[in-house]
Amino acid sequence: MDVTGSMTMAELEGLVDLKVVDARGSACPGPLLEAKKGIATVPVGDVIEIWSSDPGTKADVSVWSAKVGHGFLGVLAADGYDRVFVRRAK
Amino acid sequence: MAEQEKLVIMATHGPEDRVRAVIPFVMGVAAVVMDVECIIGFQGTSVELLRDDTADHIEVTGFPPLRQLMDDFVEQGGKLLVCAPCIQARDLTPAPHFQIEVVHAARFVAEILSATSSISY
Repeated sequence: MDVTGSMTMAELEGLVDLKVVDARGSACPGPLLEAKKGIATVPVGDVIEIWSSDPGTKADVSVWSAKVGHGFLGVLAADGYDRVFVRRAK
Repeated sequence: MAEQEKLVIMATHGPEDRVRAVIPFVMGVAAVVMDVECIIGFQGTSVELLRDDTADHIEVTGFPPLRQLMDDFVEQGGKLLVCAPCIQARDLTPAPHFQIEVVHAARFVAEILSATSSISY
């Protein structure tokens, strides 16, 4: 599935001081639940970064963002996990 | 304003089929996280998951433990409906830590008919 976000890799790498939701080691649907809880802790317009070692998380978060109305910005690969970026839109 | 979407998931397997016991709750948690109203209905042997600490000991590879999924589902607003004849036939008293509603067949039918979609496992 296409999990392309609205930002380029360079733009994602330029994002700093984000709220990090560390869901590494959590199995599906755990990272999705952690993403929902995490995004509720930041103001509208802010971006959160979800760390997940579950390879399905990026697709899940992309679908979730589209469904509930947040902005899916994209994914960066890290050492053994993905960094998934979402902007709170409501 | 868009109408609230609603999903009814019928769970019909218990400890005898751990995968089918767990998957309804994986789907249920995903649904409530996606702001979909969700009900999980227990029928048949799935009611055994509510006995004492049975759910604490059920886990399948690739998913969180069943008890965690059940707790997450309810914490996020999901509802658990339990078939009355199914627990009566087993002389089963659901463990008090589960927030459940014991119902009869007509309630399940009404919930399914009012849902956007339903799934049976």
